[in-house]
Amino acid sequence: MKKKGLLITGIVIVVVIVAAAVFFAFFRPAGEAETAAREILMPIIKDTEAQLIAIQRGDIHIYPGLARATDINALKDEENIEITMDLGFHMFYVGINMRRDPLSAKILRQAVAHMVNREEIINSLFEGYMLPLAHFVPQSSPYHDDTVPIFEYDPEQAQAILDEAGFVMEEATGIRINPATGEPLREIIFMTPTYEVAPTSAELGKIIADAAQSIGIPIKNEPLDFPIMLDRLDIHDFDMYALAWSLDRIPTFLYDFFHSSQDVEGGYNNPGINIPELDTLLEGLYYVPDEETARKYASQAQQILADELPYIPLYSRPYMDAFRTDKVTGYVSMLGYGAAQYRNNWTKIGLRPLADEEVRWLLPEEPQSLNFFTNTSAYAAEVYHRPWDRLIEVDPETMENVPWLATDWQVETWEPEPGREATKITYNLREGVKWHDGVEFTAEDVEFAIHYILDNNIPMHISDVQDVVKTNVPDPYTLEVYFDKISYWYLIKISDLPQVPKHIYENVDDYQQFQCWLEPHPEVEGLTQLIGTGPYVFDEYVPGEYVRLLRFEDYWYDQK
Amino acid sequence: MTNAAAPPEAGAAAPICEVKGLGYGNYILRRTIYTIIVLFIILSLNFVIFRLMPGDPVRSILDPQMTPEAKLLLRKQFGLDEPLEKQYLLYMRSLLRFDFGYSFSTRMPVKQEILDRLPNSVLLLGLALLITMSTGIVVGVFAASRRGSFLETLVTGSGLFAYAVPAFFLQLILLLVFGYFLPIFPIRGTMSVPPPPGGLALVLDRIYHLILPVTSLVIINIGYWALYTRNAMLDALSQDYIVTAKAKGLNRSQVLYRHAFRSILPPIVTLIFLNLPTAISGAVVTETIFSWYGIGRYLLEAVLKQDYPAAQGAFYLIALAVLICNFMADLTYGWVDPRIRVGRGGDRG
Repeated sequence: MKKKGLLITGIVIVVVIVAAAVFFAFFRPAGEAETAAREILMPIIKDTEAQLIAIQRGDIHIYPGLARATDINALKDEENIEITMDLGFHMFYVGINMRRDPLSAKILRQAVAHMVNREEIINSLFEGYMLPLAHFVPQSSPYHDDTVPIFEYDPEQAQAILDEAGFVMEEATGIRINPATGEPLREIIFMTPTYEVAPTSAELGKIIADAAQSIGIPIKNEPLDFPIMLDRLDIHDFDMYALAWSLDRIPTFLYDFFHSSQDVEGGYNNPGINIPELDTLLEGLYYVPDEETARKYASQAQQILADELPYIPLYSRPYMDAFRTDKVTGYVSMLGYGAAQYRNNWTKIGLRPLADEEVRWLLPEEPQSLNFFTNTSAYAAEVYHRPWDRLIEVDPETMENVPWLATDWQVETWEPEPGREATKITYNLREGVKWHDGVEFTAEDVEFAIHYILDNNIPMHISDVQDVVKTNVPDPYTLEVYFDKISYWYLIKISDLPQVPKHIYENVDDYQQFQCWLEPHPEVEGLTQLIGTGPYVFDEYVPGEYVRLLRFEDYWYDQK
Repeated sequence: MTNAAAPPEAGAAAPICEVKGLGYGNYILRRTIYTIIVLFIILSLNFVIFRLMPGDPVRSILDPQMTPEAKLLLRKQFGLDEPLEKQYLLYMRSLLRFDFGYSFSTRMPVKQEILDRLPNSVLLLGLALLITMSTGIVVGVFAASRRGSFLETLVTGSGLFAYAVPAFFLQLILLLVFGYFLPIFPIRGTMSVPPPPGGLALVLDRIYHLILPVTSLVIINIGYWALYTRNAMLDALSQDYIVTAKAKGLNRSQVLYRHAFRSILPPIVTLIFLNLPTAISGAVVTETIFSWYGIGRYLLEAVLKQDYPAAQGAFYLIALAVLICNFMADLTYGWVDPRIRVGRGGDRG
C-alpha cells in the first residue's frame, strides 16, 4: 500500500511538473519584463496588407509609420494594439513661383491661401488623420511661432482683397482681370504628382484649383510624372506645385528654402523669394550664436514668410506607430520623431518584451546598404542607428538637449583671426563607455569622425563639418572643436555625426566600397565592423528577410 | 551511291522547308551573329533610353543640407560629369566583362545585388512555370480529348476565369484567407524569421514559404497553358492523319500522345522557351505582395530611381536570357519536328 501510494504521488508530481513546463512554454503570462530585449528582429515585409496582417496576428510587435487611414482604422479598435501619435516635422505644402506673373502679385497668393480649406482636405482625403499646418515651421519644432498670423479659410475675404486690389471679376468669363495688364488672368498651372503615384496629392490639386476657379482665379490642376515635375522645378518652369518635406528640429531649413542665394537652377529656393530683410534674418539664423537669438530670428523670418507666401503650408503628417501591448512595453512617445522612429533613443533603451524574449520590429522596406557614409534610405537608417549613441540626446517632450555620451559642453568663441570671432565647442565625454568590441570610446573617436569626413570630402556629411578649422583632444574625454564661423547649430551637427570607431576606420581607405556590416570584426568573433556604443549590437542582415540586433551586455546606461 | 541533289522520289513527303546550300552548322553560326547584333542594339538602346528619360538620377539622393559642391562631387562619383560618348564606351566595355558597376542609390556592386536576388526569382518563377506548364498541358490534352463534355467546359471556363482575374487581386485574397482568417501559411519572405538551423529543416521551411506564392502563380497562369494546348490539340485531332491512325486500330492513348500531341509539340516547346526568361525577369507584383526578394522589384525600383547601373545590369541579363532562349527555341524546334530540319540540297527540279 505504501509503495503504491508513493508511486502515485511520484506520478502526480511528474505530471504537474510537465504540465507546468508545457503551460509556461506556450502560455507565458504577460508581466513586467525586467530587462531590455535579448534581441530585436526586424522582419522585412513590403506589402501593406501583409504588414497589417502581421501585427494583427502577432508576427510583429511594432509597426512604425502608419500612414493609411484604412490601416489606422483597422488597428485602432484591436484589443491588444495601441497606436501612438506624435507631432512630426513633416510639411506638405503648395509652392508658388514668385518670379512669374500673375502669382508675382502678393495679393493673389494671399487670396489663394484664403481659399485653402485645410479641414476639408484633411477630412476628405485622409479621414482626419493629418494635422492642419498654416505655419512655415511645424508645430512640433521649438522654433514654431504661434503668434505669426495665418490666412484662414475665408472665401469672402479672398474676394474682398482681390476686389480691393483691382482684380475685378469679368462676369462673362468668370475670370478676374489683371489690373497690371487689363487682360483676364492667364491660366495658372498647378503641378502635382499623378494619381497613380500619389492620389491624395493629385486630388488635393484638384480641390485647390476648383476652389480658386470659383472666385475667378483660373488655376488648372496638371498631374505630372514626378521626374518631369522635378525637372521643371529645377529650371523654374512652373506656376504652382505640391510637394512635401521632412524637416528637422533645427530651423536652418528656412535658409535652404528661402534665402536668395539658393535661388539658382537646381537650388532649393524654388519659389524664387528674394527679400534682403529676409536674407539678413536667415543668415543670422544660420550663423546664430545661441538658442534664444535663434528663436528671435526664426520668429521674425516666419512673420515675413507668412506675409509673402512663397509656400502655402497645408498639413503635417503626425508619426503614428502601432504597438502590441501584450508583447512589448516601455516605448516612449517623442515629439517630432514618434515612438518608433530611429531618432527616438528613449524607446530604444526603454523597450521591454512581455511574452517573448525578442522584440519583432517591422522593417517595411529593404535597407539594402548599411554604409552610413553613402546611404540615403530611411530604412537603412532604422537599422544602423540602433547600435549608436549620440553625444547629445533630445528630451522627448520638450526637445531640449539632454547629456548623453557628452556629459556637458561649453559653447564659446575664439578668434581665427584677430578681431573676428567664431564658435568653439568643448565636449566633455562620459567615461567608461565601450564600443561593442570592448574598446573604450574616447574623444579621439569623435575627432577622427570629423576629420575622416573632411579628408574624404564625404558629400552626405560634409556640410556638417565644413566649417571646422581644427580640433584638439587635451585628454581622452575632452574634445575641443574650433569652427570658422559662429553658429549655435554646430553643437547639434557634431553630435549628430555618425559613430565612427577610429580603430576600425583608420584602416579604411575607400569609404564608398567598405561594407562594414559584411566584414567580420578582425578580433572579436561573431561581430561585424558595424559597431557602436549603443544598447544593441548589429548581428546580421539577411537581404530580403530580416535584420537581427542583440542586446549589448556592457552598455553603459543602466536600462533597468 | 546516292545523289544528294536528286529530286525526291515520287510520292515521298517533301520537306516543308529547305534552305538552299546551307548546313546546320552554318545556320547556327548565322543565328549566333544575329543574336550578337540584336544584343548590341538592345544594349545601346538600354543606354540611350535611360539618359533620355526626364529627371536627374542624383536628385533622388540629394539632401537640402548638401552644399552645391557636394552635389557636384556626387555627380563626379557617379561618372555623370563625363561626356556621353565616354560614358557609353565605359558602359559597353564593362558589360562585356559582366561588370555592371555600382548602384547609384546603394553604392553596392550591381552584380552582387543581382546575384543575391536571382536565385529567389528563378526558384519561385521557375517552379511556378514548371508546375503551370506540366499541369496546364496535361489538362489541355485532357480537355481536348473530351470535347463537348462537362469536364471540358469546366476546364475551359475555369481556365478563362483564372486568366482574366488580376494577379494582385488573387494574391491578396490568398494572403487574407491563408494569412489572416486561416493563418496556416507565412505571409512574407523566403524563410522564417529567424530561419531554422540548416539542413532538412531549412529546406522544408523554404518549401513552406513557397507554397502560397507558387500556388497563386499557378492558378493565374494555368488557364493560359491549358487553353493553348486544348486549342492546338483540337486542331490536330481534326487532321486526316488522326483518322488514319484511328482506322489503323490504334488505341485512344496512342492516337492522343503519339500522333496528335506529337504534332503540336513544336509550338509547345517554342512557348516553353519563350516563357523561360520570365523566371529571370521576375514578377514585381508577386514579389511585393509576398515580400519575395527577387529581381522584378529590384528592376522596378532601379527604373523609378533612375539608378542607371542597376537598371542597365538587370535589363542586360533579361535581354541575354530572352535572346538565348529564342535561339534555343529555334534549335529545338528543328529537332522536335523533322519537317522543319534545315539540310543540304534544295528544290532543284
